[in-house]
Amino acid sequence: MMKTHCPYCSLQCGMTLAREGRALEVQPWPEFPVNEGALCRKGWTATGLRGHRERLTTPLVRDRATGELRAAEWDEALDLVAARLRKLRASYGADAVAVFGGGGLTNEKAYQLGKLARVALGTSQIDYNGRWCMSSAASASNRAFGIDRGLPFPLVDVERTDVLVLVGSNLAETMPPAARHLDRLRENGGHVVVIDPRRTPTAERADTFLQPVPGTDLPLALGLLHLLDGMGAVDEEYVAARTVGWPDVRRAVASWWPERVERVTGVPAAELRALATLLAGAGKVMVLTARGAEQHAQGTDTVLAWIDVALALGMPGRPHAGYGCLTGQGNGQGGREHGQKADQLPGYRMIDDPAGRAHVAGVWGVDPDSLPGPGRSAYELLDALGTDGGPKALLVFGSNIVVSAPNATHVAGRLADLDLLVVADLVMSETAALADVVLPVTQWAEETGTMTNLEGRVVLRQQAVAPPAGVRSDLEVVAGLAERLGHDFSADPEEVFTELGRASAGGRADYSGITYDRIREEHGVFWGGARLFAESFAHEDGRARFVAVEHRGPAEPVDAAYPLHLTTGRVLAQYQSGAQTRRIADLPDAGPYVELHPMLARRIGARDGEPVVVATRRGELKAPARVVDTIRPDTVFVPFHWVGANRLTNDALDPASRMPEFKVCAAAVTA
Amino acid sequence: MRTVVVGAGLAAARLAQELSDVTVLGDEPHPPYNRILLSAVLEGTHDPAALRMPVPASVDLRLDARVVEIHREDREVELADRSRVPYDRLVLATGSIPTLPPIRGLVRLDGRLDERVHAFRTLEDCRRLDAAVPHARNAVVVGGGLLGLQVARALAVRGLATEVVEGGEHLLRSQVDARAGAILARYLTRLGTAVYTGARATRLTGAGLVLDNGCTLDTDLVVLTAGGRPSTALARRAGLEVRRGIVVDHHLRTSDEHVHAIGDCAQHGDQVTGFVPPAWEQAGLLARHLRGEDVAYDGARTVARLRATDLDVAVLGDPERAAGQVVEVSNPVTGTHRKLVVRDGVIVAATLVGDLSRIGLITQHYDRATVLGRHEPGELLTNDRPAPPVALPDDAEVCACAGVSAGRIRACASVDEARDTTRATTGCGGCTSAVRQLVLEGAPV
Repeated sequence: MMKTHCPYCSLQCGMTLAREGRALEVQPWPEFPVNEGALCRKGWTATGLRGHRERLTTPLVRDRATGELRAAEWDEALDLVAARLRKLRASYGADAVAVFGGGGLTNEKAYQLGKLARVALGTSQIDYNGRWCMSSAASASNRAFGIDRGLPFPLVDVERTDVLVLVGSNLAETMPPAARHLDRLRENGGHVVVIDPRRTPTAERADTFLQPVPGTDLPLALGLLHLLDGMGAVDEEYVAARTVGWPDVRRAVASWWPERVERVTGVPAAELRALATLLAGAGKVMVLTARGAEQHAQGTDTVLAWIDVALALGMPGRPHAGYGCLTGQGNGQGGREHGQKADQLPGYRMIDDPAGRAHVAGVWGVDPDSLPGPGRSAYELLDALGTDGGPKALLVFGSNIVVSAPNATHVAGRLADLDLLVVADLVMSETAALADVVLPVTQWAEETGTMTNLEGRVVLRQQAVAPPAGVRSDLEVVAGLAERLGHDFSADPEEVFTELGRASAGGRADYSGITYDRIREEHGVFWGGARLFAESFAHEDGRARFVAVEHRGPAEPVDAAYPLHLTTGRVLAQYQSGAQTRRIADLPDAGPYVELHPMLARRIGARDGEPVVVATRRGELKAPARVVDTIRPDTVFVPFHWVGANRLTNDALDPASRMPEFKVCAAAVTA
Repeated sequence: MRTVVVGAGLAAARLAQELSDVTVLGDEPHPPYNRILLSAVLEGTHDPAALRMPVPASVDLRLDARVVEIHREDREVELADRSRVPYDRLVLATGSIPTLPPIRGLVRLDGRLDERVHAFRTLEDCRRLDAAVPHARNAVVVGGGLLGLQVARALAVRGLATEVVEGGEHLLRSQVDARAGAILARYLTRLGTAVYTGARATRLTGAGLVLDNGCTLDTDLVVLTAGGRPSTALARRAGLEVRRGIVVDHHLRTSDEHVHAIGDCAQHGDQVTGFVPPAWEQAGLLARHLRGEDVAYDGARTVARLRATDLDVAVLGDPERAAGQVVEVSNPVTGTHRKLVVRDGVIVAATLVGDLSRIGLITQHYDRATVLGRHEPGELLTNDRPAPPVALPDDAEVCACAGVSAGRIRACASVDEARDTTRATTGCGGCTSAVRQLVLEGAPV
């Protein structure tokens, strides 16, 4: 019996793994407070990849003569990679080598990848797919509060607020056990508000549902601020004592009267007024954003506008109230704290901060001046691959780029122009299939490491079974490469975690003092404490910042040729690019589909279950129609777990977070 | 490049935000405020302190600065104090002037308005009326247009017995048809506001406001909301082309290429708009044009919305004059009237009274000129959600978290058995009550 956590989303549900003869079985872990023994079908079936016939168990190297991948020994593969990296570096400079990580990697792996890039490779070119996940909320939280922790309180606090506002979150499908807290809130007499272009299963269990046009959550927040101010519902005492910047926001929202908001957002003014009245009368309000609000070219500003709402009501820092982001990937939080982000060093230190560089360089035993500066953000990095002045080699860990990147056809083209693509993965993902070298790595139950869940709770995934022969952990792969490049890296997770603790000490996300033993004893350990902001915010003056923002609208507005909004998202039984979940026999995998409203279906002559073609300026997808009255008639939805959805999406980036605009672009649909 | 804006209303404030090197000349003593909210202030639902519009610190904002002359040849404007302000380009945003209806007795012998009489256009007007409300028992609003109805509702919400007098045959006569007007009148009546249509006020006496139908309405307050005309005197004196309003082209330029006009004072084609949203849009468009973007104004796609408690009205475009096929659903029993004017599949105008549940979609289609299918206009006006089937079929998924069908749960003897064998209810917990129900259904009778 081994206590561990689910391999998928940011909830990191506690579970118990039990050996039943040769089989490994998932059982509840009722004492773990986040999910109290509940799991969704992804969790229950998580052992399905163990012993899967598609598991990779030997390194593969692309044969120059045949162009096919062939099996190789580990030493051969690693020697080859190291030699070619050294050669590219000698010809083109250190930035010719790039590293791409993932928000599903453990803290230890994220940390070691950052160190591999900055110390062993000397490259500034490292980023990760978390940039496409929660980066807009991160940049907004940093700006407003001076710190970025997804939830600054335990998830269970949701149950004791008065009004919970979910902006662009479908948690009943994306993290089902979290919905139990919603139900308990309602049992306690609380009120749930869901804002989403689709009436999702989460919206079905809400008391209030607003259905805006994709990409207009920002003006919706401005309209609320306008009404709250007009109603005299702004907590002036709190605003005066704990914040700065309200007068600018107040002026800015004077021009967002409800009928103007209605015209931009498609939300009737009466519904906006009702929501404002509800918020004004509530003692405790909690606003949570997720990808629906964040994955936009104005995602940071959208989150800032919703934080403004929470601040105007005087909520952040109060018990069972405030603002939080529902992080998506398993280690979305920890993944961004320890150095796999282009602009950061461990402990959430900014890479251009001299004191931070000196501290981390001290732990690493290198000269601070030897550390590179900030590199390109995820999409910009991919966009530069194989170009003049761009990286010539890419090492990929924990990411299936060709499925998950926006404008995916273009990105696949960039990967093809590389001199060397190395992919570490458990299975032959769509990205691994393009690689020159594929390195088979351990998964979840076969290795140990920490994850930081959506609450900032550091949890421990413990090894329950031995990996298949021939498979190595990512830490071993990184150490093997580092060794060949003349550096000594540990491959032991607990040792790496201890070093990470030292490197992060004194940073914004300080893990020093957290140990594996403490995590085991305390059901996880919150970095920074369970609840933040009770006394002060993390800015030097202790005050939160109101930020006045304006609505710019989607980068690609609809027009006559592409008259519909396309939005994307997840389904319950699949996770991210599906590289794992699509291979689990007990999870249904019917492929992508196109959700559209009966009115639109009738307009274009589409029938439920029959194929339709979704086209954007970047690509096309043919998939069966799913005709549902739960979506706005001017919007279509495609789940992104399969190849295709991201051939459609737009690669416009948020100026602050560099988040691509996954959640809205202009599309045409034909039957 | 110095831009001088004459007028300091909402449109001027937007220009000032979006352009650099701007002087704003306002003749009111207040910095720009959002005029559209005045009726909400009167109603008591909006804090007057929250009206103020942002004006960047870099803007040269001059208040109490009345422009008396434009010297086009010198590119200067002249203020009441005879000082002059030079411009490279001039934007006239002078708005409109309320016209006094021909009612005898409005003006006293000494030339001042009767103290019972109020206009409702400026913040000052709003304050004066607001201050009079506590001392009044009743009020008559002259004018049954958008502003009149808003003011009437506001006064009624404040507890005054309120009456509306409209000279035309029905309310909102410049926006909607007679049936919509009648439904509105019934609404107002039900809300306790008397409506007199087809009746003109002729005289104000000590006894009250005398109508041409013989009634005399005893009243403490008379609010004039009928009629305004574009403020064009400056432009006319300066020799700019003026018809009803100051004539502008698709770049909102007047007959002088250095002078633009926006908002209520401007006339584009045949159109003089007279309310805030088009002025706001014109200001945004002009700012983009002046910044060098390639944009053109093609006439406002206006959406007129009544802002008043319990009165739901939206008018898109000009439904009484727009050419196209009319699709309408009118239900005097429920007090709803919805009408779409459709041309080549595109909604070109619409009236929605009493039911605005689909307004968020209809305005999107209208603004984006979405080409609809043949059935769609009708579907847009009949929007009931079908009731869910009573009994779940056996293959219906009940627990999405674990992927369990109704049939599998019906086969279980208890909720516990369902949980242990199918894992239903072990995820989000949302299906718990459905599972309980299905287990009961499946139990042998």
